[in-house]
Amino acid sequence: MNRKDFFDFLKKNILVLDGATGTELQKRGMPNGVCPEMWVIENPDVIVDIQKDYINAGSNAVYTCTFGGNRIKLSEFGLGDKVIEINRKLAQLSRKAAGEKGFVAGDLAPTGRFVRPFGDMPFEEAVDIYKEQVKGLLEGGVDFFVIETMMDIQEARAALLAVKESCDLPVCVSMTFDENGRTLTGTDPVSALIILQNLGADAVGCNCSTGPQDMIKIIRAMKPYAKVPLLAKPNAGLPRLIDGKTRFDMEPYEFGSYVKEFVETGVNLLGGCCGTSPLYIEQIRKNIEGLSPIPPQPKEICAVASARKTVFVDANEPVVVVGERINPSGKKNLQEELRQGMTSLVRQFAIEQVEKGANILDVNVGMPGIDEKETMVKVVELLSSISDAPLCLDSSSPEVIEAALRIYPGRALINSISAEKVKIEKLLPIAAKYGAAFILLPLSDAGVPKSAEERCQIVEEVFNEASKQGYTKKDIIVDGLVMTVSAEQEAALETLKVIEWCTKSFGCGTIVGLSNVSFGMPERAWINSAFLAMAIGYGLTMAILNPSSETLMSIKMASDVLKAKDKNSKKYIEHFAALKSDKPAASEKKDTASPVEKVYEAVVKGDRENIRKFIDNALKDGIEPSVIVDKHLIPAITYVGDLYDKKEYFLPQLIQSAETMKEAFGILEPLLKKESEGEKDNKVRVVLATVKGDIHDIGKNIVGLMLRNYGFEVYDLGKDVSAEEIVKKAKETNAPIIGLSALMTTTMLEMRDVVNLVRKEGLDAKIMIGGAVVNADYAKEIGADGYSEDAYAAVKLASKLAGI
Amino acid sequence: MDKYTGLKFFEHIPAVPDNGMILTRLGYRKTTTVLDDDYRKSLMENINKGLMLCNTKGVFGTFKIAKRDEESVELDNGVVLKSRSLSKLLSSSMDVVLMASTVGKEIVDRIVDEVNNKDAAFGVILDAVASETADAALDWMVDFINKMIRREGKKLTKMRYSPGYGDLPLSNQKLIFDVLNLERLGISITERFMLVPEKSVIAIAGVEGVD
Repeated sequence: MNRKDFFDFLKKNILVLDGATGTELQKRGMPNGVCPEMWVIENPDVIVDIQKDYINAGSNAVYTCTFGGNRIKLSEFGLGDKVIEINRKLAQLSRKAAGEKGFVAGDLAPTGRFVRPFGDMPFEEAVDIYKEQVKGLLEGGVDFFVIETMMDIQEARAALLAVKESCDLPVCVSMTFDENGRTLTGTDPVSALIILQNLGADAVGCNCSTGPQDMIKIIRAMKPYAKVPLLAKPNAGLPRLIDGKTRFDMEPYEFGSYVKEFVETGVNLLGGCCGTSPLYIEQIRKNIEGLSPIPPQPKEICAVASARKTVFVDANEPVVVVGERINPSGKKNLQEELRQGMTSLVRQFAIEQVEKGANILDVNVGMPGIDEKETMVKVVELLSSISDAPLCLDSSSPEVIEAALRIYPGRALINSISAEKVKIEKLLPIAAKYGAAFILLPLSDAGVPKSAEERCQIVEEVFNEASKQGYTKKDIIVDGLVMTVSAEQEAALETLKVIEWCTKSFGCGTIVGLSNVSFGMPERAWINSAFLAMAIGYGLTMAILNPSSETLMSIKMASDVLKAKDKNSKKYIEHFAALKSDKPAASEKKDTASPVEKVYEAVVKGDRENIRKFIDNALKDGIEPSVIVDKHLIPAITYVGDLYDKKEYFLPQLIQSAETMKEAFGILEPLLKKESEGEKDNKVRVVLATVKGDIHDIGKNIVGLMLRNYGFEVYDLGKDVSAEEIVKKAKETNAPIIGLSALMTTTMLEMRDVVNLVRKEGLDAKIMIGGAVVNADYAKEIGADGYSEDAYAAVKLASKLAGI
Repeated sequence: MDKYTGLKFFEHIPAVPDNGMILTRLGYRKTTTVLDDDYRKSLMENINKGLMLCNTKGVFGTFKIAKRDEESVELDNGVVLKSRSLSKLLSSSMDVVLMASTVGKEIVDRIVDEVNNKDAAFGVILDAVASETADAALDWMVDFINKMIRREGKKLTKMRYSPGYGDLPLSNQKLIFDVLNLERLGISITERFMLVPEKSVIAIAGVEGVD
């Protein structure tokens, strides 16, 4: 069976698939815990009988019994070195059972491990594992392939590429969606369809997990966008575990009652999954009688997808924003980060851009001093994990684009393909292999044509080449090529003409990058904004821009309303309603506070940035440093403590105020010393430590910080500190207070040792303890002098113990 | 056969903690704590910065229960977990899932640096984000596993257990650390059974039939 035969059959017929194999094998004697593939080889008659029963019940095709026939699964039974042999034999058995009239589908299923970026298995390893299985199945004479029960789109892609790179037989991919309509790793049906049909699947669909009712919804969601036939293999209802065995609750007759709806919804291949048997297949055969298949009739629309979201690009859809910020040119911080192999700025740019309204993220990591391919793969893996926005892969190197396309678990947009020889000869076939959409740049090796007519000519030339590789006009987005108006005032008009021609005559989407147009002009934002509005007026469908620009985003949203792309102006209204609520109410309060009142307020508000200014002003006004401390700072921090006690303040506010206080002390301390020259420093000393064996010390650090800010002199010994070291320090400093922390039940026991040693050595110090697992009772039990539940309570306790 | 066969590693767990949980951890009380709009906005920005510093990974493995009595549970890999309350939790389970998650080193280093040298208020926010994200990663894994085993008519126990809870000694962290090959996630364990980086967590749940 070649691909033409496959499609010819499906034009006229619903292809009836088989039902469950595993449960049938169990019914016919396969014991639990054995390797099903090996058991079947040792008991060949059983599978031949089952599959003959399916063919007799009306199946046009049976799946080889190779669900667990990959190296990883077979290795669990010590059979990892027999993959090809086992698959060949099992395919031969199915061939025998299917006879002349039945087709044999080579079955590939999950390996049980997760592929990068989601899991830890390298993508190429997954491809190789499937290729090995495919080889065996091909040797056994399968007619086509089915990749089934896939829970992760990336693993499905690996299996699909393995088949496509091994043979030219038809291949179907069937994903498993849960009741919420998502795969285990979060892919929705439409995105799965868009990704898989563009990567070369000849049929796409779903099996397992849910019963027929939920599965019809999946098919209904996919059908409007399906360029390929759709497949469904529902379970016999929902599973339950009864006496250690999985049972399903739907009888054959009820199962059969959904067949008509399946066909009318657009299914082209139909069978059964877990819990079904030849009786269920009989029902399918009976109920499709007289029904005709609905061929694929996809909407003419451009779609790009991430693993979890599809973005449509169309004249009737809002203009799609491609966020431009993940690009190191002109961004020193990003350059430095990429050079060091770090990614937190990339994450930040991704999240911020999406928050500000980017639909797609452009990814460009080209810069000197790094391995662009390696960095691109790393960044694409990261972005496909942390963001739902599809990616626009932006590089001048075909190798970099290919590496990224191979591992990208979505349908990407390539930026860009022009009429340059290297792009046509090298990049275009790569783009086609992975089914990526692309931005068509209307320039050639001769450079950028000035006139719109010449650019349109190039668009047609590139499209001609692309169509030979299977591309349609809906797979390309033409870049209008924006040149600067300060050099050539007609330039913008030429770009607009290209956009208009693409929209009205040629019939494809268009994109522009905006900033070039205004280069060399003053107040560039106005030119950019006006140009964007005009381009949208001429039919622009996408724009590459920085979504943080409120003007551009507002113009885009307004234009979407005026062009009737934003249905009922919903997005516009939502956007501006959110902006309004974000804006703080204008303060009409006059700034009448005196400098010391501002000092007080700054501590209460935790305004560390301005405290110095306020203190300087107060000093200039002649206020004594000791007055500032006693009458303003201390009352302020006491008030903060009260607010914290009453829970009106929470921890970050308390700390922020304390840090402001510390800043204030830092400024005033030298002056206070002058005031009290000769007097002894009367700070109370505290030795702090997280006890031996414990490494969790953030709580202790916060206590230290608070104590310092309240005027204690803190000797912080850090974490994992022995009793001996603590005692030594306490002696050395003659500290009247020792503070201990421990987070775990195992390490809190150390506290007792410290207390015992302190007492044994005859130190007069008071001991206070804290930490998640200790309490006042424990403090009492080990002979400590107090327990505090948080940092502020620790300050109060220390004050009490010191008699302040 | 490799002793780690059957472990499932996740390189990027898309778990996002609930903001409410982060705030609660920081002492925020919905009805009493007062935050003005500007403060709330900067707080949310700081929480987002924390989320960007998390590199959340995880692993889980499923193990058959070989023997269970009131005192302990023995798994088919030879691991014995001695705890009456865990044994009770697993009373209807046929398998046990051991799992672990971590948010990585970057955020933990940053917390220390902020608290000790820079902006401690930001440091405690990061600390709360990291703790909640590590927990959210376990929630995410539980949800993931539930979806995976639902097709077999199975589910995980509603509660999950961790070494150091109740009567299950913290020393069990080491047993589970070895079984789950946590070094592969960049985690190490101290002599006193603490995981490094600090924001790493281990949990145990049972697999039982759907009612």
